[in-house]
Amino acid sequence: MLKFNPQTLKKLRRFREIKRGYYSFIILSVFLVLSLIGELLINNRALIVSYEGELYYPTYTAFHPGTDFGLDYPYETNYRDLKQSFADQNSDNWVLLALVPYSPFENDASTGIFRPEPPETMKKHYLGTDTTSRDILARLFYGTRIALIFALGFMASVYMIGVAVGCAMGYFGGMFDILTQRLIEIWSNIPFLYMVIIVFSVIPDTFTVSSRILILLGVMVLFSWTSMTYYMRTETYKEKTRDYVSAAILIGASNTRIVFRHILPNVLATLVTFMPFTIVAAIASITALDFLGFGLPPPTPSLGELLKQGTQTLRTAPWIIMSAFGALVVLLTLVTFIGEAIRESFDPKKFTIYR
Amino acid sequence: MKKLASFKIIILSVFVLLLTACGGESDQSAEVDSGLDNTQEVLDFYAANPELFTFVSLDDLPDDLVWEDGMDQPEIGSPDAVKGGTYYEVLEDFPPTLRATGPDSNFSSRSWISDNYQMTWAMPHPNTNEYYPGMAESWAISMDRNTVYIKINPAARWTDGEAITSDDMLFAFYFFLSDYVQAPFTTNYFNTEYTNITKYDEYTFSITVPKAKPDMASRVLQGGPVPQHFYKEFGEDFPERYQWRYEPHAGAYYIDPDEIDMGVNIVLHRLEDWWAKDNKYFKYRYNPDRINLSVVRDTAKRYEAFRRGDTDIFRIATADMWYDNLPEDDPAVANGYIHKTTFYNGGPRSNWGLWINASRPLLDNQEIRLGIQYAANWELVISNYFRGDMDRLKTQNDGYGEFSHPTLTARPFDIDKALEHFANAGFSQRGPDGILVNAEGQRLGFTLSTHYERFADVFTILKEEAIKAGLELRIEMMDGATGFRKAQEKRHDIYFVSFSSFLEMYPRMWSYFHSDNAYDQAFLEDGSVNPERTVKPQTNNLQSVAMAEVDPLIEEYQDSDDKARMIELSHQIQQAHHDYASFSPGFVQSFYWTAYWRWVKWPEEFNYKYTTYPYELFVHWIDEEAKQQTRDAQDSGRAFEPHIAVYDQHRE
Repeated sequence: MLKFNPQTLKKLRRFREIKRGYYSFIILSVFLVLSLIGELLINNRALIVSYEGELYYPTYTAFHPGTDFGLDYPYETNYRDLKQSFADQNSDNWVLLALVPYSPFENDASTGIFRPEPPETMKKHYLGTDTTSRDILARLFYGTRIALIFALGFMASVYMIGVAVGCAMGYFGGMFDILTQRLIEIWSNIPFLYMVIIVFSVIPDTFTVSSRILILLGVMVLFSWTSMTYYMRTETYKEKTRDYVSAAILIGASNTRIVFRHILPNVLATLVTFMPFTIVAAIASITALDFLGFGLPPPTPSLGELLKQGTQTLRTAPWIIMSAFGALVVLLTLVTFIGEAIRESFDPKKFTIYR
Repeated sequence: MKKLASFKIIILSVFVLLLTACGGESDQSAEVDSGLDNTQEVLDFYAANPELFTFVSLDDLPDDLVWEDGMDQPEIGSPDAVKGGTYYEVLEDFPPTLRATGPDSNFSSRSWISDNYQMTWAMPHPNTNEYYPGMAESWAISMDRNTVYIKINPAARWTDGEAITSDDMLFAFYFFLSDYVQAPFTTNYFNTEYTNITKYDEYTFSITVPKAKPDMASRVLQGGPVPQHFYKEFGEDFPERYQWRYEPHAGAYYIDPDEIDMGVNIVLHRLEDWWAKDNKYFKYRYNPDRINLSVVRDTAKRYEAFRRGDTDIFRIATADMWYDNLPEDDPAVANGYIHKTTFYNGGPRSNWGLWINASRPLLDNQEIRLGIQYAANWELVISNYFRGDMDRLKTQNDGYGEFSHPTLTARPFDIDKALEHFANAGFSQRGPDGILVNAEGQRLGFTLSTHYERFADVFTILKEEAIKAGLELRIEMMDGATGFRKAQEKRHDIYFVSFSSFLEMYPRMWSYFHSDNAYDQAFLEDGSVNPERTVKPQTNNLQSVAMAEVDPLIEEYQDSDDKARMIELSHQIQQAHHDYASFSPGFVQSFYWTAYWRWVKWPEEFNYKYTTYPYELFVHWIDEEAKQQTRDAQDSGRAFEPHIAVYDQHRE
């Protein structure tokens, strides 16, 4: 069982008291959990099919060709049509569809022409369809899921490298500090966008979408961890001169122990201040990269791709830009609220006049 | 070919820029340096290449020549056309140079700097495709001498008033064959397509080509001279020296380089006393006095600029623009302020489609290629995405008249047939995600690469439909240079592209279908496949087509001067290519859409058969009175008769 020290517990209590941030946190966590089981909510595969007395659960299993359910085609069953045909036949067979019975990839045009269609509850296109008649809600949902997981992974990696290097610089100081600083200065001057373009032009096309996302993450982390080191370095310098560090050194604690057990908790306030900004930046940059066409390969759903479509159809299909923009605003606002609340609750100077 | 050329030019120009940057020589003098004169150098070049340059007298002109003057073609343009006014047009990008040749000169807006109104010796009539005279007065074609004779119109003048003479054509050879020009494609063209130029007198010359071909006249007549007096300073520093100097030409418009607003605006002026202004074919054309070209880089902004009336004509490329952004019930259209026309044109078609690289593993199997053909649902793309306005391309060489195959059609989307062909190749089981796998567990997946982002939606539709036939297409969207390089190096599985087609008599076969362009040593002496053959990069045979039995046909086609035999061969080659199944024909647009403000007036038949842009022949004119009238009507809310027209006189 994880045990927090009273200090941390106090901070968490304080966090709960800041209602805006706390509720944002709950909303975002619920969304994150939901998105992990998103296939059960938004999917064109049925949840359960009862056919000839047998139950099928197609959501997470192998695909079922139409022939499995008495249809005449060898490709993936269209469960919406299947449900309709079962209903028409008045048979005992039934289909339980997901809440939004569309995948983010399939074109579903009511008029036979692939073009944006406005939101319609009857057809369960709750946010309408995009330029090739794909469900916007489905694309938004899966696009956000990718962006969010990406941002969390980005934050974790950047902090891991940034904190370790920054603290080491501050703690060891001297030649090590000076050399590493110069290296970081050189490194941070490599233009990030060009690197993304170059890297993406050389990776083999046989890579799957998920490995491409991992590579993109890697490239972004490689060029983003540097800014964190400056703050950690100065904070560590400051803390290092404090008596408790001298005490720890006297007791004979190892360098690692001093940095991570003694210094790090005391500079955590600085660290958490940056967390929301990092997440916001990560979401914004993957969206921007997609918008520019350097992000995920089509037809991977993404916020940036939707935004791009939206700007091109401002006059004719405003619901596209509204959905994409709305989702982005909500997402970034929630993260910012959480960030603010964390910063405030972790601020040790709550009762100081130097606020 | 044009793509190949422009690509090479880009690469070369980057290289040149790098080199010049390293050299440290930055002589940016755009000023005329009268001290420089290369006349002697040019004469020395002529003397050093006697087999290329021949100087004789008019008496040596053969007597049996049949001279044509092309004056029997119908007039171009409308007698109602009125000269005057300013025509507002947009550039997608500001030209990086005013040069029409050399590094950086193949830019997107170059048609407005030179191509659109420049002249050649003779031009194909836009309706009949027969030649009418440009700078030439008359010409004669001698098939047995492989030679085209040209008499220059003595009235023809460069835009700066100098006369156009045979010397300017001789100089063109010096110019393009020189290393200074840095235009490898054109240099190669002059090296391989012409074997001799003979000067008879100031206004008479002839050019000899290596092989007599049915269309050999076009290689000469559609060329042009280079103004020798303007290139007196032509030398090593040509790209920098002539960067912002405007080359004289024989056309109706000129640019004053001092007037250019760098990065923003360029103005074309009409020559008041243009030498050809009373000519039968030009008198109703080139009507606006000024053409104002401003840079608007983004399509959406270009459209908004048009809606405000800042530009006069807007060429609409996509169905959503045509039907949703500017529908017929849009107030501006319904009130008759903006007119919309659909014009059906003719000529060789852009061959949009899937270029399947038959040198790749699995794709070297014809059954797989056939399966892919049946798994590509172009019908759905055309009916649902292009809203039925496009047609299905039939072969790679549509629109060449008799040279196109009369009966071949593209294979339809057919899941059963696709599965059958895939099964023949060993892919008979579906994996857990519905994609076919073979006995070794290999997935039937290929990468569909392209650099046409504007068609991204098309690929997602193809991808979704191909899954039904158990085929996985991974879409790879690349930027232009990278993508095309990949295809040129033959590293692609399937590439979506179209090669620009020119108004030519017959399609090119050798560069696309001959095994020489697919592999080094494709076949062994006995005709069997060379097991050690390697893929040959940098050719247009993107499908790696290599058919031992077809190569002789292509070679015969290449050498033949008999039109009937060439047609027969063309059909045979296309049939073989169809059976080879390495090209999945996509869509073809047999018309163009134009939206324009009502003050832009057009001839009664709107435009001509062999046009791709409404403005390319300059047959339209600006009615300044109607412009004022329209502006007033917009303020007062008055409506005019709406004009939404379809011109299908050239529909096939």
